[in-house]
Amino acid sequence: MHFDPRTWTISFGFRENLLQDIKHFIEKKATLLLFFILTMVSITSFLFYYANGLGLAYNDARSHLDIGRRVVENLKPGFAQLGSVWLPLPHLLMMFTIWNDFMWHSGLSGALQSMVSFIVTGIIIYQFLKKLQVDLFGRLVGVLIFIFNLNILYMQSTAMTELLLLGTMTVGVYELMMWHKEEKLVYLIRSAFWIMLSTLIRYDGWFLFIFAAGLIAFHTIRKYGYKTTEGVLVLFCTLGGFGIFLWLVWNQLIFKDAFYFISGPYSAAAQQNQLAQAGVLATKKNLPLSLQTYIYALVYNANLFIVLLSCFGAVLLWFDKKIQSSVRIATFALIAPFFFNVLALYLGQSVLFVQGLSGTSWFNVRYGLMMIPSIAIFVGYLFNRLKSLRFLLLGLVLFVSIFTFANKDAVTIDDARVGASGKNVSEVSGWLRDHATNQNGYVLISVASHDAIVFSSGLPMKKFIHEGTGQYWDLATAHPEKWVRWIIVRTHDTNDLTYKVLQFNPAFNQKYTLVNHFPFADIYELKSQYVPDLEPLPVLTDNK
Amino acid sequence: MKFLIKYKKILGNLLFLLFIASILLLSVRGLPGNPTPTELNTTYWKDNGPFELSPERGRFALLYSIVENHSFNFQPGIAKFTAPDVGYMNHQYVSIFAPSVSFVAIPGYILGKYFDISQFGTYIWLALFALLNVFLIRMIAIRLGAAPLAASLAGIAFLFATPAFAYAVTIYEHHVSTFLILLTFYLLIRYNNLFSLAAIWLLYAFSFTVDYPNIFLIFPIAIAAFFRISTVQEVGKKILLHISLPRVLAMAGVIIPLLLFLWFNKVAYGNPFQLSAGSIARVISVKPNGAPVLLADISKPTSLPQVTKRDEAQGSIFTAFKPRNMLNGFYILLVSPDRGVLVFTPVMLLGIIGILIANKKKVPYMSVLLGIIGFDLLLYSMWGDPYGGWAFGARYLIPAYAILAIYIAILLTYWRKNNIFLLFFFTIFSYSVVVNTLGALTSNSNPPKVEAESLSQLSDQEQSYTYARNISELNSNNSKSYIFQTYAGSYISAWSYYTYITIFIVAVAAFFIVYFQAVTREELGEGGQHAL
Repeated sequence: MHFDPRTWTISFGFRENLLQDIKHFIEKKATLLLFFILTMVSITSFLFYYANGLGLAYNDARSHLDIGRRVVENLKPGFAQLGSVWLPLPHLLMMFTIWNDFMWHSGLSGALQSMVSFIVTGIIIYQFLKKLQVDLFGRLVGVLIFIFNLNILYMQSTAMTELLLLGTMTVGVYELMMWHKEEKLVYLIRSAFWIMLSTLIRYDGWFLFIFAAGLIAFHTIRKYGYKTTEGVLVLFCTLGGFGIFLWLVWNQLIFKDAFYFISGPYSAAAQQNQLAQAGVLATKKNLPLSLQTYIYALVYNANLFIVLLSCFGAVLLWFDKKIQSSVRIATFALIAPFFFNVLALYLGQSVLFVQGLSGTSWFNVRYGLMMIPSIAIFVGYLFNRLKSLRFLLLGLVLFVSIFTFANKDAVTIDDARVGASGKNVSEVSGWLRDHATNQNGYVLISVASHDAIVFSSGLPMKKFIHEGTGQYWDLATAHPEKWVRWIIVRTHDTNDLTYKVLQFNPAFNQKYTLVNHFPFADIYELKSQYVPDLEPLPVLTDNK
Repeated sequence: MKFLIKYKKILGNLLFLLFIASILLLSVRGLPGNPTPTELNTTYWKDNGPFELSPERGRFALLYSIVENHSFNFQPGIAKFTAPDVGYMNHQYVSIFAPSVSFVAIPGYILGKYFDISQFGTYIWLALFALLNVFLIRMIAIRLGAAPLAASLAGIAFLFATPAFAYAVTIYEHHVSTFLILLTFYLLIRYNNLFSLAAIWLLYAFSFTVDYPNIFLIFPIAIAAFFRISTVQEVGKKILLHISLPRVLAMAGVIIPLLLFLWFNKVAYGNPFQLSAGSIARVISVKPNGAPVLLADISKPTSLPQVTKRDEAQGSIFTAFKPRNMLNGFYILLVSPDRGVLVFTPVMLLGIIGILIANKKKVPYMSVLLGIIGFDLLLYSMWGDPYGGWAFGARYLIPAYAILAIYIAILLTYWRKNNIFLLFFFTIFSYSVVVNTLGALTSNSNPPKVEAESLSQLSDQEQSYTYARNISELNSNNSKSYIFQTYAGSYISAWSYYTYITIFIVAVAAFFIVYFQAVTREELGEGGQHAL
């Protein structure tokens, strides 16, 4: 450092290649640095939402945790508890930690996989951009877009399945791009593996599997002809489709119908049929509205400015002749979630409400998150192309992000907090906790309708007799007064399985009294004179 | 003849100035007289007069109180005139607008008062900023490589072919803000010395007191000025970074405006850090005894289910702008029939092509200029009311129009030999002038579509919300132009008055284009040697 008193100037001297050295250091240690930063962000975010209670606001998050818990702790534990409503991988991954009460009730058992996926996705975005010859600045911006998304930060702090799906799909697409680039078999196998995992998380993965197979077929047939294509496709589909095959076998074995997940009473299709009958499935058979709805969801999750930047980035990428055409074609897989969600809305297989467009809630608006890694990649690419404007664009991105964070502007939190996605069952579960803890007798409840109550009550899973407890359920619904002290139902709602089977049961009608009425459920309690007659559940050796 | 050739440039500039000034003079709104508080509260001055909307009243009220009552607080009569955009604090009526537009307009009021036209004097004084903006656009565009004629055309396009016209003839903050943006930018590109830097920082701080969002809009210029404190030099295998301490000290230019602003806040609100847009009780109306009817007293609190107070973001300048509003904001500002750029001033969209050309030609300072457009568009698209209340066109984008006009000058320069483009430009320029002259000569009081629809239902009468509303005003022979109301209205209809002014603007622009197209590249080039 040198001070010149004539000009009042302070001068600092640096080695000419200092900046280059710093850049090389960051490039060399990028993965490690990113791992560290992403881990810190992930943990901080989880702690923040754990502390304010929003981490478990989603009804589905509580249900996922309960499903995982029932596999290891339940009146009838076992893999059959995985059921058919949701694909099994998130619940299988929970099994390693869900036995621990803290991991279950804090939601960490489910959030952990979201957090790991968040870190992996961030690193893969960086690697993806690196393979597209994007410079360090563009790569870091891509990661920044991903981690500065408040909806992503929130969802990675919950036991929801979105981040796990994003992680597996993004890695799958990355490996697919690498195969298109280098045509090494190992990339194809890796891609198939990650896509196979995504098929075991959500049906978005199934679409990606088909989409990826199409891209592989297109690439191979163009370059090598039919015979090679056949071989490559068989290889990809054997591993990539293995998860789907297993799921069909599972449904056949457990429910005696390989397509039970489609036709079952709790399937998405069944739920959407109910909505269609109620006249609130406006996107069904309406392509413009389906498109509009998903684009709105996307915009509300990512914010309009980022989406516009990503559109420019995508167009520039696809028309960049410096990148080999097969790689550019492979990057189309990044927009597979867009096509899937629009198609699902159009076919009436999915429901998504956007406030102001359809309905008054943000129900399932989180589906818009599926494009965030793709958006991050396209924006990172754009920054690489528009070098002269990159600092301006970064400034504008940060400008909008500041307002996002200052306002806590996340639609997924609104969805979780207000409306159908986030039942506030604290009253009913609180009553149950206060009155049933350490008391004799079981709670009869349908977990299909009231899993959130089971979770929020804090009672052990073994306290509940539900439709997944086999013969215990049959016994309890036939003679509730022998075992069941409390019954949780939505009175007069035959969609509630407990009410459906008990509505004409004389014991239920005569020996139980309505003790409390809550927004989401009513609580019936066995009249006091019958309580001494309650018995412990019999030990069943062949409970099927 | 020799004299004409010698002073061609000066003469051309004078004619250009005369043209702009005459149009402004013919368009500025007003009524004769020095209105008293009692008169100001009549519909003659308010709804039917030059104070049709509360932003005009609020700023004029502060100006009036300063000059007539020597106070930053309002007397009940003035508060009544300003309601519902007036605050109540420490048992005093106070302004809820940033104060400096009122301060800036004081000379106009005093001069006008001398001639018994205090309101018109105020408005015409502020119209000077619009005129200066045209010249600043022209000067900046020329410095960035545009031909002088193209730069002049771009200046005309900014003022007369955008909603900037409708806000040049009244008392709003937009032209003062735009002036400060353009002036700081001009200082940045024209000079690089201690005084220019100090002036930039001073103007930056002052702009905040004109309109609070200016802190964001001028931010790109401030960043560029900040980097001027240092220079980088390569000496052998070393890089030397020189930081000039006097240039660092130039940043102290922010102190004077901020101190004055703090003093104003202290006197007006009792707290130097109390912003006028902050948590001040709003007054809905003033009772005959001078007591306020507060908004808080008549509105009942509503609660959202399951939303706890803890979760709600604390109110601040940041929480007033929500990214979730962006989708609607972009629609309203850019394409909606009630405010959209596409409908009100499509000529400005040509600026986007100018930006692309400028990018290709590596025109300097692109990041700074695009930053201003970006901050303007993003900020107001996040604002809960992108409509700007009852307004004419997207008024919040007036600074962005000024920047786009600079790029239109560049576009015209590079495509000047393309007759089809020039014809296309002239067509949409003319359309934009036709639309915006409507607003300038009649009213800015256009409701947003949603409000117009509700009003239609309530009043059982179709309420228009596009510039069709301004056409209705002309059909009713209404123009708020001072010249029309005081003199011309006795001889010609409002429609004729509007038609003559529009034709005048379009004809002058046509002359510019024809002349521009005709002169050769050699005559034009070489850094603004040409007269226009």
